[in-house]
Amino acid sequence: MTTVRAEGLSLRFGRATALEDVSFALHDGVTGLLGPNGAGKTTLLRILATAIPADAGQLRILGADPRGAAGRLAVRRRLGYLPQNPGFHQHFTAFEFVDYIAILKEIVVGRHDEVRRVLHAVGLDDQRGKKIKALSGGMRQRVGLAAALLDEPALVILDEPTVGLDPEQRMRFRELIAQIGEGRTVLLSTHQTEDVATVCQRVIVLNQGRIRFEGEPVALAGMARGRVWTSPARADGALAAWRTGSGDYHHIGDPPPDARLVDPSIEDGYLMVIDAASLAGRTA
Amino acid sequence: MSADDWHVADDDLRAYADGAARPPWLWSTEAHLGTCPRCRRRLAQHVDPAAVHAGWARLDAELDAPRPGPVEKLLVRLGVAAHTARLLACTPGLRRSWLAAVGFTLAVTTGAAHLARSMTVPIPLLAIAPLLPLIGVAISFGPRVDPSYELAVVAPLHTFRLLLLRCAAVLSVTTALTGVASIAVPAYGAVVLGWLAPSLALTLLSLALTPRFGPVAAPLAVGFGWLALLAATVQHPTGESVLFTAPGQAGLAAGAAAAAMALWKVRAAFDTTHHLGRVADPSTRRTI
Repeated sequence: MTTVRAEGLSLRFGRATALEDVSFALHDGVTGLLGPNGAGKTTLLRILATAIPADAGQLRILGADPRGAAGRLAVRRRLGYLPQNPGFHQHFTAFEFVDYIAILKEIVVGRHDEVRRVLHAVGLDDQRGKKIKALSGGMRQRVGLAAALLDEPALVILDEPTVGLDPEQRMRFRELIAQIGEGRTVLLSTHQTEDVATVCQRVIVLNQGRIRFEGEPVALAGMARGRVWTSPARADGALAAWRTGSGDYHHIGDPPPDARLVDPSIEDGYLMVIDAASLAGRTA
Repeated sequence: MSADDWHVADDDLRAYADGAARPPWLWSTEAHLGTCPRCRRRLAQHVDPAAVHAGWARLDAELDAPRPGPVEKLLVRLGVAAHTARLLACTPGLRRSWLAAVGFTLAVTTGAAHLARSMTVPIPLLAIAPLLPLIGVAISFGPRVDPSYELAVVAPLHTFRLLLLRCAAVLSVTTALTGVASIAVPAYGAVVLGWLAPSLALTLLSLALTPRFGPVAAPLAVGFGWLALLAATVQHPTGESVLFTAPGQAGLAAGAAAAAMALWKVRAAFDTTHHLGRVADPSTRRTI
């Protein structure tokens, strides 16, 4: 089912172009939004979360147009949003904070039961009564995720939820996101290609405010097919090259001497797409 | 027979499980169950699992129940709905540090009014008191002061309603405190209430200008505008000003009404982060 359909979205902040002619569709399952810093990811998520409107373009979210007050309210009633830097009232316990957000979401009947349900869903049963300021970064992200899951949203928007988490926390968070994506639409903004490889059914690559790729993660990896090599020595002229743990060099670009062609990863495809976009930007 | 050999009889365990056991036998059974795993296991056979589940759920609910702070308790006692009281209790403008600052400022201005015997109008109090709700409201809503501001904006609860709730709370508290300060200088007569109309006018005007100038520039401009107006009209050394005469107060009240209408017209701007102004949009400062 198509949950979000965007056509030609554009937004400028003063002289800076944040988004330009962005078109895409979101369906049930987890879609990753990849892009470097300043690519426009957060701006796009904030438009989808109805925090800011776009300057131009058409947008339908869950069948509603968020430009009008009624459409915006309809979207907000079915939306779960975890911002990039979710702020917490530090004096609240985890339960109290999620309860506060539940009040903002106008959950009236069985509010405390709903809060207990979402805290259970993110594995915070034992931390409900702890003050937010006493929780680790990973636990706080879970509290934010619990707040996003209140009232069974049809669309969940997560802005870089795995930033700052240690490897174990990141793995557990991915597990959670995969579960959340069953039966609803999740848009996951991330810097980490591993996030996309492990939990996303589709991926959008955004750079310099434009969509550079939209498709399945395997297809993103395929963007670098025939362009990824290993060789015993570093070669000049590669788009990217680094020494791997085995001592060989991993190259993306034209083949260096004595090179062996290898299967590309999502990261290779992503670097190819970003580099092509940067080149296009420089020559434009 | 040693204490270890004695166990609660089946009938007594059943009565305990049914809640039919009576003291002192109840106490004896309870004390024994605390130390005897075997009797606890036997007790489990007599207990309705649904009742146990419901009991745990009740205990969970009791343990989880948010503990209201003093402000929240007071609001509920005053008849405010519990969920509204919770929203209001998060108002930064009701924090103890801010209220202490308001109290201190009012004490100083009231003291100055007491000492300045040459004045016929307590101008330190009347100049500063209208700025207190203005600042209080400015620090009650926005990305810089409300940690969960962005979540509040995209929540179904209308942001403008949340803003008005918080404004009402801040205005009520500052009005009450300033009212007390006014009573402390009875020698000046009714003119000490001259802060009320400008308080409303400045606060409403600042909110109405926020979508155009942002949450910092708007109250700053309004505050300095007020001080400039006073500087232009206050007479030395009496402290008299046309602003604190009947026509002046009527003009300020009319200004408050006009600002209220202007605010109502721009209320939709508070529904997104547009009321911060484009330049002040957090996404341009933090990350795109």
